[in-house]
Amino acid sequence: MSVVTKAPVRPRDATVGWRTLRPYVMPVLGLLVAFAFLWPYLVMLLNAFRPSADVVQTPASILPREWKWTTFAEVLGDERFLAWLRTSVVVALASTAVVVVVAIPAAYFTARVRFPGRVAFLFLVLVTQMFSPTSLVVGIYREFFTLNLVNTYMAIILTNAAFNLAFAIWILHGFFSSIPKEIEEAAELDGCGRLATLLRIMLSLARPGLVTATIFTFIAAWNEYVVALTLMLDDDRKPLTVGINSYVTGYEQNWDQLFGASIVAIVPVVVLFALIEKHLVGGLTSGAVK
Amino acid sequence: MSSARPMVSGAAATAAPDTAPPSDSKPRRRRARARRGREPLHVALLWLGPALALILGVVVWPVVELVRASLSRYSITGLRRGDAGLENFRQVLANDALDTVLVNTLVWVVAVVALTMLVSLGVAQFLNKDFRGRRLVRWAVIVPWAASLVITARLFTLIYSYYYGVLNALLLKIGLIDTPIDFLGSDAWVMPSMVAVGVFVSIPFTAYVLVAGLNAIPGDVYEAARLDGASPWQAWRLVTLPLLRPAIMVATVLNMIYVFNSFPIIYTLNESNPGFGHDTTITFMYKLAFKSAEKDVGQSAAAGLFNVCIILIAVLAYLRITRWRKES
Amino acid sequence: MRVISSWTAGAARLGVFAAAVTLGLAACSGGTGAGSSSEKATKIKLVAAEYSKDHTKAFWDQFAKTYHDKTGYTLDVQIVSWDDIDQQSSTMVQNNNPPDILNLNAYASYAKDGLLYNADEVLSDSVKSDLLDTFVKSGTYDGKLYGMPDLSSARAMFYNKTLFKSAGIAAPPKTWAEFEDAASKIKALGGGAIGYGLPLGPEEAQGEFSIWTFNNGGDWKKDGAWTVNSPENIATLTFLKGLAGKGLTQNNPGKTNRQDVFDLFASGKVGMVVGFSPLAATLDEAKKVDYGVAPMPTSQAGSEPKTFGVTDYLMAFKKDGNREAVKAFYDLYYQKDQVNTFIKAEGFLPVTKSGVEAFRADPALSSLGTYLDTLPNAQLTPTDDPAWDRVKLAVQQNLGTAITGDPKTVLDKLQAQAEGK
Repeated sequence: MSVVTKAPVRPRDATVGWRTLRPYVMPVLGLLVAFAFLWPYLVMLLNAFRPSADVVQTPASILPREWKWTTFAEVLGDERFLAWLRTSVVVALASTAVVVVVAIPAAYFTARVRFPGRVAFLFLVLVTQMFSPTSLVVGIYREFFTLNLVNTYMAIILTNAAFNLAFAIWILHGFFSSIPKEIEEAAELDGCGRLATLLRIMLSLARPGLVTATIFTFIAAWNEYVVALTLMLDDDRKPLTVGINSYVTGYEQNWDQLFGASIVAIVPVVVLFALIEKHLVGGLTSGAVK
Repeated sequence: MSSARPMVSGAAATAAPDTAPPSDSKPRRRRARARRGREPLHVALLWLGPALALILGVVVWPVVELVRASLSRYSITGLRRGDAGLENFRQVLANDALDTVLVNTLVWVVAVVALTMLVSLGVAQFLNKDFRGRRLVRWAVIVPWAASLVITARLFTLIYSYYYGVLNALLLKIGLIDTPIDFLGSDAWVMPSMVAVGVFVSIPFTAYVLVAGLNAIPGDVYEAARLDGASPWQAWRLVTLPLLRPAIMVATVLNMIYVFNSFPIIYTLNESNPGFGHDTTITFMYKLAFKSAEKDVGQSAAAGLFNVCIILIAVLAYLRITRWRKES
Repeated sequence: MRVISSWTAGAARLGVFAAAVTLGLAACSGGTGAGSSSEKATKIKLVAAEYSKDHTKAFWDQFAKTYHDKTGYTLDVQIVSWDDIDQQSSTMVQNNNPPDILNLNAYASYAKDGLLYNADEVLSDSVKSDLLDTFVKSGTYDGKLYGMPDLSSARAMFYNKTLFKSAGIAAPPKTWAEFEDAASKIKALGGGAIGYGLPLGPEEAQGEFSIWTFNNGGDWKKDGAWTVNSPENIATLTFLKGLAGKGLTQNNPGKTNRQDVFDLFASGKVGMVVGFSPLAATLDEAKKVDYGVAPMPTSQAGSEPKTFGVTDYLMAFKKDGNREAVKAFYDLYYQKDQVNTFIKAEGFLPVTKSGVEAFRADPALSSLGTYLDTLPNAQLTPTDDPAWDRVKLAVQQNLGTAITGDPKTVLDKLQAQAEGK
């Protein structure tokens, strides 16, 4: 919160009025913006607090006609749900870790060093983003079947990592390139090797980029669907996205539990975000997305 | 591009460690010039190796399989029946619905990306201001991104429903409409309804890329603009926007790719419509394999390769138009 | 230097992975390495569709345990949602790695591709003779039974007694004319009342259409020839389009899926809807709608109402050495305490003669009487014809367009597709 405000400058005569009003107007605007992004999930929350039949009752009613308070207890007391949650946490954290570890050296090196194939590499990275996993899932299955890794966390962690690598490399590449070479040179004069320079100086300078890449990868891995669906056979190894389909089938609908479970599934992401959000703003550094 | 390079605060510059020993001995033997600029291929492989391994192992291998599948003849069960040559590609190109699907795709991508960028610019500016409760607003904005797309899409099918949808109930209540709108069934409304959801879920990601970009713009640039007597609008247009260009471009390119490849929204919101009337190339590809009478994974693979070509060309065209690589 | 060490560890792990990838690629070009044929499988895999969250997995877990205790074989169970099971099974078949047992709503294409065991190979005679004839017929491709039924359902007309009473309709309609009259009267009640809930959307258009056209003397195939555009079928589709045109159905029936009309019926807004036992279970639980179940109305007065039946299949894939284990699977599944328990829990109908007896004898299932009587004579879609697997999809994706288009044109096109044009 200690960020210097960068509000565009206003004409002088309007400034005084605005100064008095600003502390009141801005939070209200903030509330409106928050509502604009939250309202569907408020609908979702209300749907979790009514019996399933009430969700699809005609005519619609915004508030539940009949409140049901047990949904979250049902969901959180369900062993299947807890297993799915566990899988999602493990997979998302591990995928994010792999991406960060793999992307940093690649992004740094391509940002700082000219070498044969540099442009080709960056292009390859971009192109990997263009394949829809839906179209590749058969090949992915074949690969992990050949490697005897079907139904293992390893398989979906590696897949998530590979498909999210491009974003991380791109974002970090931009941040690394925007850090002036002089800083690095100073470090090198002090005798730091390239790796040490990267770890000690560049990483802290590129922190907003790192945070962006982390959030991005975590969310993408958290919400991955089609690959996990295909690779994870055991019910307790399915991630949440795949597992919660069970709540609503063609023959039986538990909308309340589906939405209750979905709300729970959002929480870890928001918590993670809340924990690292302040770094997104980059207190001392100023990296540019490039 | 280099013009957008921000200044660095003194605190960061002095953060350099004093006498850390180099972690590897090789660089020391190299000349300083090489250290700063060039490396031979084998050193590059060391740094890029893990990334390359992941990409080659997990992306390229399945791509090879995809190409193989596109050249094969398959039974409806998925059993491979031999080589098909280019027949699958011909079949896809001959599909009656192809024109509709391509137009839908164009509308979908252009509308979602353009609206997303526009709204996100505003949201990012706002999130970058300092005010009480800003953190909470930032947490709120991330929620549509944090929620799984499959679930958000399902949620919106309920919200949009003709009979029990909250949206219709609300519009009826405040008297904006007399009869419910068939958001997901009326041909005129399906695409706008899907676009609205597409924009809604794309904004958070985009806004945060732009927030990162805004953060990189040093405050003293504005100071200079003010001293020059620029109005807020002028300052934004002449200072913010050009400095934000790199972030805008990254966000646009990535959004183009994600929106083009977006599956759950279109598939779910369009679920009760027969045929290909509101499909994009991605759902078209999926339906070719599993839902339409073709039920042919070979054709679907061919369509998948066409898709990659389309988005590749679109992105390259965008980069060319906006002169992406001005610097390198 | 924790950062560095974790980096090196990650790099090392990736190195291992890279090596594995290289080996994998090598193995890939070396052809598939199937096990030797003499080896007996001790473990088989079941891919089962999920009917309900609380019952499907619970049943199969229990089944796998019993199966292991009784036979010594291990059963790996993978539960897949109906939405995704086509993709899952296709992916497995494409990779020459199908499960040993697959639960699906189609089988004939798999039989045609020579992938399946037939009943002579894996079904005991006692089991085979216990299956209801109508399902043996629908499961028989090219003279042999491949499609072993797991459970069944039959459709019937559900009607809202409260709405019927308010509209002054004494009894459920027996003919199409009576039906249309009843629907008009319900609509005339106003207040958003809908005469008939008609789902011709892509989810299951073939089911809704089947039950109507079967009661008009129509069918998809007759005497081995496709009759998709028969006069009876055209008349049926024209009738349904007429209902929509007169505003007797819900909004946009060509784009409405089954569950949507069920939800409307459960809201008490719809006079009539074609339903099945899972709908009854939902309604009984909510206790909001006073409903009755009646046979379908027929186009002509006095003709016998036809029941539309549906069954899903448990098919067995031929794989080296798995025959004994597969046979043991079926032997156990069709034991009364297994198959009937499963079907009862999921709220469907039996597939065996002994099952029908057991259901009839169970006082808790007395409400199923109507279905049980008609089940042995239920008429099915031509699931025994592999071509139907494709025709069905074409029907799902096109039938709804007749609501705004021309029924004859739509059916002509589907007929051409069925004939393999």
